[in-house]
Amino acid sequence: MGFFELAILEAALLGALSGIVGTIVVLRRRAFFTVALTHATFPGGVIAALLGLNILLGAAVFSIVLVGIMLVISRVDRQGSQVASGVVLTFGFALGALLQSLNRDMSVQVDTFLIGNILTVSPGDIAVTAGVLVLAVLCVLFAGKQLLFSSFDPQGYRLAGFRPVAIDLVVLGLIAATVVVSMPAVGSILAIALIAGPAVSARLIMRRIEWMIPLAVLFGLVSGVGGLWVSRVFSVAAGGGIALTACAIVMLAVAYDRVRQYRAERSANGGREA
Amino acid sequence: MWTATILSPSHPSTDSPVDLGFFFDPFSVPFMARALTTVLVLAVASGIVGVFINLRNLEFISDGLVHAVFPGLVVGFVASGTDGLLPGALVAGVLAALLLTVASRRGVGSDAAIAVVLAGSFSIGIVIVSRETNYVSQLEQLLFGGVLTVTPSQLTQIIIVGVVAVVLVVITWRRQLFLALDPVGSRAAGYRSLPTEIVLNCAIALLVVAGSQALGNLLVLALLVVPVAIARLLVRRLMLLAPLAIISAALAGWLGLVTSFHASISYGITASPGSLIVIILITLYAVALLGHLLVERIRTARRAVPHTCFEHTGQHPVLDLDQDVSARRRWSARFRRAV
Repeated sequence: MGFFELAILEAALLGALSGIVGTIVVLRRRAFFTVALTHATFPGGVIAALLGLNILLGAAVFSIVLVGIMLVISRVDRQGSQVASGVVLTFGFALGALLQSLNRDMSVQVDTFLIGNILTVSPGDIAVTAGVLVLAVLCVLFAGKQLLFSSFDPQGYRLAGFRPVAIDLVVLGLIAATVVVSMPAVGSILAIALIAGPAVSARLIMRRIEWMIPLAVLFGLVSGVGGLWVSRVFSVAAGGGIALTACAIVMLAVAYDRVRQYRAERSANGGREA
Repeated sequence: MWTATILSPSHPSTDSPVDLGFFFDPFSVPFMARALTTVLVLAVASGIVGVFINLRNLEFISDGLVHAVFPGLVVGFVASGTDGLLPGALVAGVLAALLLTVASRRGVGSDAAIAVVLAGSFSIGIVIVSRETNYVSQLEQLLFGGVLTVTPSQLTQIIIVGVVAVVLVVITWRRQLFLALDPVGSRAAGYRSLPTEIVLNCAIALLVVAGSQALGNLLVLALLVVPVAIARLLVRRLMLLAPLAIISAALAGWLGLVTSFHASISYGITASPGSLIVIILITLYAVALLGHLLVERIRTARRAVPHTCFEHTGQHPVLDLDQDVSARRRWSARFRRAV
């Protein structure tokens, strides 16, 4: 397979994975958490590159450390989860920038971490992405009901005798894994577009929750593969192309939602006048 | 970057046992003095505005503004170099402030909406800059800034923009506080929250614009969020938050500049001063956090009464001031008298 076929495969896998995990992120309102985590993988990648390890490994280890720090800070009174995300996010970026500035002659350039490069993705990266995708599908198949219940009614979930900690850990793990595997392809900053975009569009278009994930996966696929095509045609950064395509789909979904609301209001008014 | 010759002639070593020159000498060099002034101006402005970011939980919106200013910086930079940075960023900042105010008021899934705005605008910037020839170095310059290369005219711009941001907040101070501490009461008293929110978000955007030129687009957020978080760990009094935040940010800025200067002069290490400042700021935060946890532990051990009724649920981070009902009543009464 040539490098462009590999890139298409990776984009498709990532799109599907982001559709599934993104839906969970949107429903559970963990968008800022996810953004913080994506930024925090930056220093992990730099450290791994300095030590000569796989970038994925560095990002994974560092994201586990930072999730721990965030959990601690969010439990301190007068701090809360927003402050926790803010602190961890800026810490990640500052550390990455510092390490990078200390090692000017590093072979890997800074944009590799920040906006990724899907055209240089390795078969190993693709295998890991596929593995995480299988894991996410399994989680939704076997724990989908619990995921939904705990997202919409956390108190009821606890009172019904389930353990919220367990499901929280599953969700955190899935988000972190997705963020880590998407870093080589779309980078730390743009990953959130692929994660949040398709899910937001699906939510705007579909009222029924069981259709949200399939639709988000479809949008994810379109954003990934279509974005890659856009970047090739207009010769712009691939990560940027993918993120912009995801955002364009959101715009279309917003427009569709507006038109639908407008029609509904008009028909309601017409009914009253008649 | 620096040569030792800039420094040595004018500074005979002091005779005092503690060599304070270590901390003050670097700033006799003009560009270091400018860097320090920039950092201090930003510290004061973001300490004041940051109080409201913290009280109203606007950290994520601030992050959105930071990213949304980026395409403005890029367009300005591509159009007319460093002179274009400020106009481009100003336009993008004000637009983003309006867009994000509306997006965040849409209730359901608002944080996802912010995420989409953030990523979309940032990728516009990336796409534009990726069509430039030497885009990696430009990208780095825009994202991480250069506090040491601030020109006198840039410093003037930063001061003006910072002052406007502070003035916006100070003029609307009472309304901002009322809305932050008692949103329901503020609305009941007949204030519309939208203009107040727009003013605050514009002030944040202005600060992001001012800071982006010096600290870079990504590190500004640290100045907006972390100093006030430190202050909230240290004190409960509302009026002490801004001064403490300013002091901690200024301290971090000063130490960061001194450290990067000496690292470069004495050891030839090129550490990016902007990221050093942020790392020191976060170290201060870590110290404050550990101290806070220690004090809490000692207190609860002394009291020996677990206050479970105020336990956080984890799902909804509640503002401490909200729980302190008497403090809230006092503030509300004060507002009603003042208004």
